[in-house]
Amino acid sequence: MRLRFEVNGVPRELDVDPATRLIDVLRRDLGLTGTKEGCGEGECGACTVLVDELPVDSCLMLATQVRGRRVLTVEGLARDGELDELQRQFIAAGAIQCGFCTPGMLMAAKALLLRTPDPSEQQIRAALAGNLCRCTGYTAIVAAVRATAAAGGHVLAPGEASGDAGGGGSR
Amino acid sequence: MSTLIHLAPRDRSELVEALARMTGQSRLLAGGTDLVREMTKNGLRPDLLVDLNDLDELRGVGIKDGVIRIGALTTFARLQEDPVLRRHGRCIADAAASVGSVQIRSAATIGGNVANASPCGDSIPALLALEAKAEIWDAADDTELRPIADVVTGAGRTSLAPGQVIAAFVFPVPDERWLTAFAKVGSRSAVTVARLSAAVAVEMRPDGRSIGEARVALGAVGETAFRDPLVESVLAGGRSDARMGLRFAEACCDAVCRSIPGRYSLGYKCRAAAGLADDVWRGLGFASPAEPAGEG
Repeated sequence: MRLRFEVNGVPRELDVDPATRLIDVLRRDLGLTGTKEGCGEGECGACTVLVDELPVDSCLMLATQVRGRRVLTVEGLARDGELDELQRQFIAAGAIQCGFCTPGMLMAAKALLLRTPDPSEQQIRAALAGNLCRCTGYTAIVAAVRATAAAGGHVLAPGEASGDAGGGGSR
Repeated sequence: MSTLIHLAPRDRSELVEALARMTGQSRLLAGGTDLVREMTKNGLRPDLLVDLNDLDELRGVGIKDGVIRIGALTTFARLQEDPVLRRHGRCIADAAASVGSVQIRSAATIGGNVANASPCGDSIPALLALEAKAEIWDAADDTELRPIADVVTGAGRTSLAPGQVIAAFVFPVPDERWLTAFAKVGSRSAVTVARLSAAVAVEMRPDGRSIGEARVALGAVGETAFRDPLVESVLAGGRSDARMGLRFAEACCDAVCRSIPGRYSLGYKCRAAAGLADDVWRGLGFASPAEPAGEG
């Protein structure tokens, strides 16, 4: 079947088998391997992407479900070669160890900040409850999200992402 | 290669045509959070997917002619914030807020939750407490209203035949004197599968201190969520004070013990039921027996 949707601001059109998951289209067909698959059943959140600004587990969604919709992956956070404030704060806070959960953490946090620019610690923890990290113990991650909010990092909406951000694939 | 056929009807007439093609191996696609996992982890290979996502009439919450209608395709993220439900059916909004993670709630739908008929499906006790009915559409273009207890018939089993789809849930707008609450117990405080859940709806008498009619639904105890008439009879006609809170907790423990005799988890669930009852009691706004300052 023909699938048309937008990834990181770029319109995409490709043929997919209707049983294909969103994460497989992103990683395999579009080469956007920043999105990770951990558990494959919606427990770990490593595969989190935004669909119309809402965070979803891309391992539990068929690709066809995003037809006509806007998808933002971790590759779409940076603009014009500049990291998003959220990414800069993750680095500054040391909120990354092995890095496998990081794309999902960033996208879940991005979704929170788009809706709630100045979240409480409780709101941050609730927004990240669907993302597991086996390394850091979450303290630095929560601190990075708070620092991003303090720096006004919510103002970078996905629609403003630069045009070439979606171009990870060679096809 | 998969030979999966994908149909995405855009209105009811296209839906009727698609439903008519369904077999026992066909599946309806709403949010996908249960279905895709079944396909990935358990090798489910449907012959046909009827994708409901282009049917906007199945989405959203509305009030018309004294009836609240919740579209089956409404996500838990929408339900938890819905102003109509926060006012008239809070147990559904609270149950929705307790489902999975933000990611799950952004995709998963109330229709899918009921149709999957998990014993721990959070929306089911809430719908039971509101005496909601499922509005079922079928391949003959007929509409039927079926009580939730007749839809969910066992663990993972429903009375829905191939070609039948839940379009919405409906219940009369409760009188302002009705109070509702939902609570659940799981192995962690967030993103947890219910080990035990309860939804309660009580109609307060005009004095504001005693309970008239009461409905109590328990979930994740046995194969399906159920209303418990014995627990309801304890509440009906009683006061909404801390002493009654204690009796309510005891009645919930008894209900759990009666329901799963001999089950390995019985000891845990009997004790958890008391804590769960206390959470629901507080959720209704009543004085808790766990607080010495209360009336009791």
